[in-house]
Amino acid sequence: MTELVQEPATKKKSFIQRLRENPVTVKELRSRMRGRRAFVVLTVHLLVMSGFITLVYSAFASAASGPFGPDSREVGKVIFSSVLGLQVMLVIFVGPSFTAGAISGEKERQTYDLLRTTLLSAKSFVAGKLLSALSYVLLLIFVAIPLQSIAFLMGGVAVIELVLSQVIVLVSAVTFALWGLYASSRMRTTLSASVVTFAGALFVTVGIPVVVGLFSMILSPFFAGAAVFSWQAEAALMYALMFLAGTNLPATLIVSDIVLVEEGSLWYFSTSVGGFSGSSHTVWLFSPWPLFLILYILLAVVLFYATVRRVRKIATQ
Amino acid sequence: MSTIIEIQGLTKKYGDLTALNDLTLNIQEGEVFGFIGPNGAGKTTTMRILTTLLKPSSGKAWVAGESVIDNPRAVRRNIGYMPDFFGVYDDMKVWEYLDFFAACYDIPQSTRLGMVDDLLALVDLGHKKDAFVDSLSRGMKQRLCLARTLAHDPQVLILDEPASGLDPRARIEMRELLRELKTMGKTIFFSSHILSEVADICTSIAILEAGGLVAYGDMAEMKRQLRAHRLIQLRALGDLTPIQEFLLRHEAVESIITSEEMDIPSDSLRFDFTGDDAALSQLLASLIGNKFQVVAFQEETGDLEDVFLQVTKGIVN
Repeated sequence: MTELVQEPATKKKSFIQRLRENPVTVKELRSRMRGRRAFVVLTVHLLVMSGFITLVYSAFASAASGPFGPDSREVGKVIFSSVLGLQVMLVIFVGPSFTAGAISGEKERQTYDLLRTTLLSAKSFVAGKLLSALSYVLLLIFVAIPLQSIAFLMGGVAVIELVLSQVIVLVSAVTFALWGLYASSRMRTTLSASVVTFAGALFVTVGIPVVVGLFSMILSPFFAGAAVFSWQAEAALMYALMFLAGTNLPATLIVSDIVLVEEGSLWYFSTSVGGFSGSSHTVWLFSPWPLFLILYILLAVVLFYATVRRVRKIATQ
Repeated sequence: MSTIIEIQGLTKKYGDLTALNDLTLNIQEGEVFGFIGPNGAGKTTTMRILTTLLKPSSGKAWVAGESVIDNPRAVRRNIGYMPDFFGVYDDMKVWEYLDFFAACYDIPQSTRLGMVDDLLALVDLGHKKDAFVDSLSRGMKQRLCLARTLAHDPQVLILDEPASGLDPRARIEMRELLRELKTMGKTIFFSSHILSEVADICTSIAILEAGGLVAYGDMAEMKRQLRAHRLIQLRALGDLTPIQEFLLRHEAVESIITSEEMDIPSDSLRFDFTGDDAALSQLLASLIGNKFQVVAFQEETGDLEDVFLQVTKGIVN
């Protein structure tokens, strides 16, 4: 037998090299991309996307009644929004579905203890799991970009809109995937981890807007009946709504695009508020995407380290 | 020989249940140490603490001089662990499995390929290199897992029930493999409830019951200590009655068992002897000197099952 004694690697590896050589990423990607499965999934994904876009185009074309057919800019905009909508669904549901079983699956398969007695650090383990899940989700997102480009052929969509939306989607993909990974580290089974993951994702994307909507419906009669509703209160309400939009993925995408297209600004815009006093005041509002990116990046960092901490912890039970 | 595993007052409690109670033992380098006990005796708990997977409620333990509580990473570098139940990954080939775990031990890629071949040759799985792990038999998986524990050339192998669930042939192969590892200088700490196997290959044993240590020491010494006197079997030609009378007059002979009392051949008898080797030799000489036609005269060694039954009370099952 050859000598098996290994000296620990002393040469410091770069961050990229460590990511590229992460054994968990290599193993997961090797397994995931093996055989026909990955090819079939990608093909079906693209067929569904293409079919969906064709359907949207046909529906829009038949609905348009102008003498020169549908306005190509509007068609481009609809295609862009549709593909973006599908990407959002991928990020919220498919990404976390990969990570929700990443750690709990190791526990269920009884391979978790084998890994924990190796020299693989908790950070490398979590990063490897995250990267392998994200790689596949990002692959699904990136292969749809040529379909997005159809929107450019039609016009009506600016490059900055595409770039901004893709940055927001990418950051969301990381955060939602990490949420799934964190749930997976806390739960014993993949089923319970998946339930917690989807419940959390649904609450953030659908639950909060519904709760806000309900509150505003309940409170609107009080505001309408109020004798004095100052411009400051109106401005505060607008800031609060923009803040809430900045916590929600679909709202951020929609409002940021509106600010970009309607107000012609990437960062901020001004609007007039007057309350019931009749006087007009100008308030400056920020587009929600910077707040969204800051919040979601911070959340991603917190979730990453919370998961690492959970994995590193030596069991007491 | 120096101490490679040191356990001092190790206790593990789960609520009111004491799984391990004040366990203290030392294992010397190069030993094959058998850890015996009924189910629920605390064997796996001890092993999980030694492999840094579980925190003890109190007490300390060191492996290769490193504390399992204060320096788990250094301990992991020195141990190879095979749990009683372990899983394998789907969609993974045998060589990929070993390569993955070798990478988890920071072994450089350039070394891994040759090392995988060597490990597979050691466990006689070279012909299964490109087979999927899932397709292997239980015995093969067990051997593969043993190869995995050797990937980083650890000093100590901690094996929890390595032969459980194996058919007789696979058990023999596993036993041979453990013998080979012993000749390679590995310290093997393994648990088992198959006493004949433990007796075959162990240099020392510890018997655990209800979380407490009931017997511990060198294999031969244990058998000697636990047996108050020696059991000698004698076979002779002719009538055995004069021999019986002669033996009863000897001060070191305590009692005689004949074929009428026990299932032994009719030309044989057994007697308890309290003297040492010199006294036993003298007894044989005097039998011959008195013209008794002795054909066989040998000490019954007794087996580990006797020892086990003698020291345990069947508290847990």
